[in-house]
Amino acid sequence: MESISTVRASQDDFYKDAVEKYGSSLHRLASAYEADPDKRRDLSQDIHFQLWRSFQRYDARCSLRTWTYRVAHHVAASYVMRERRIFSTLVSLEELETIGDKDQGQLAAEQRLNVKRLSVLIQRLKPLDRQVIISWLEGMDAASIGEITGLSPGNVAVRVHRIKNILTLRFGQGGGYAE
Amino acid sequence: MSLVLIRQKARELHAKTRRQRLGTLTVPLVVAFFYAFCIKQFPQLRQVLYLLFTFALAWSLAGLYFLNRGKWTGEMPGDTGFSTGLEFCRREIERRRDYVRRGLLWSFGPVLLAIGTFLVALAIVAGTGIWSKAMPFMTLVVIWIGAYFVIRVRQERELQRAVDELSDVERENSR
Repeated sequence: MESISTVRASQDDFYKDAVEKYGSSLHRLASAYEADPDKRRDLSQDIHFQLWRSFQRYDARCSLRTWTYRVAHHVAASYVMRERRIFSTLVSLEELETIGDKDQGQLAAEQRLNVKRLSVLIQRLKPLDRQVIISWLEGMDAASIGEITGLSPGNVAVRVHRIKNILTLRFGQGGGYAE
Repeated sequence: MSLVLIRQKARELHAKTRRQRLGTLTVPLVVAFFYAFCIKQFPQLRQVLYLLFTFALAWSLAGLYFLNRGKWTGEMPGDTGFSTGLEFCRREIERRRDYVRRGLLWSFGPVLLAIGTFLVALAIVAGTGIWSKAMPFMTLVVIWIGAYFVIRVRQERELQRAVDELSDVERENSR
C-alpha cells in the first residue's frame, strides 16, 4: 500500500509537470473565461488549486494534457455558473448570431483590441461551446477536444465550424466591444 | 502557483466551508426569533403558536439537513478529472437546479409559515383595524415573497432548459 507521503509526492510531481507544460495555456484559459483582472487571478488560483487536488486521483488512464484541460475547464465552467446566477445571460450560438450590437460597424485597428473583442465574444458563449473553441484556439484537433468535452470528433468539427463562422461574422460586424 | 500557496488555498477553502455551514443556520434562527417574539407578545395564543412554530422550527431544521446534504455532496471540480465537459456541465447544472428547488421547499417554506403565523396572530390580537395601519408593511412583505418566489421559479426553469439542451447534445452525440 502506498504511503501518504508517496502519494503526496507524486501528486506534487504531476502538478509541477502539468504547470510546466500547460501553465501558459491555463493562463489563457482563465482569460477566456473572465475579463476582470482581479477575478481572473482568483479563477486562475482556483484552477491551480483544483488541479493540484485532482492529481490525488490521477491514474494515467488519460493523457496528462486531457486531464489538465478537463479539470481546468470544469473549474472555469463551475465558476461561470456560480457567477451568472441566471443561466440565460449566456447565449447559445443561434442567439449570438442574431444579437444586435450597439457599436455595429466599428472596426478595431489594433490587434490587442481585437484579442479583447474576441475574448468578449467567447465569454458570452455557454460553457461547452467555450470549451470547444478555447481548446481549438490552443491548437488541439477534434479527437483531443472530444476527449476533453465528451463530444464526438464529428460533433466537435461541426461546432468549431459554426462557432468560427459566427465569431467571424460578429467580429466583422463590430461585435465584442464591452457589451 | 507555488505548492505553499496551494496548501494555503486549501486551508482557506476549509475555513470558507465552515463559514458557509454556519450561514445555513440563518433560517432556523429567523424562525426561532419569530417564535420567541410571538410567544412573548401574544401569550393568549400560546397554545396555537406553540404548535405552529414547533412545526416551522422542525421544518427548518429538517431543511438544514436536506439543503446541506445537497450542497456538500456535490463533487468539487478537482474530483472530476474522469468526467468529460459534457457530463460535468450537466451534473453541475442539475445539482444547482435541485438546490434551488429544495431551497423553496426547505428554506422559503418555514420562513413563510413563521411570518404568516406572526401576521395572523397580530391580526387576531389587535383586531382587523391593524390591517389598514400595517398596509404599507404588508404590501412590502407580499411583494418580497412574490418576487422571491418568481425569481426562484424562473431560475429553476432556466436551469432545467440548460439541462435539456445538454441532454439533446448528448443524444445528438450518441447518434
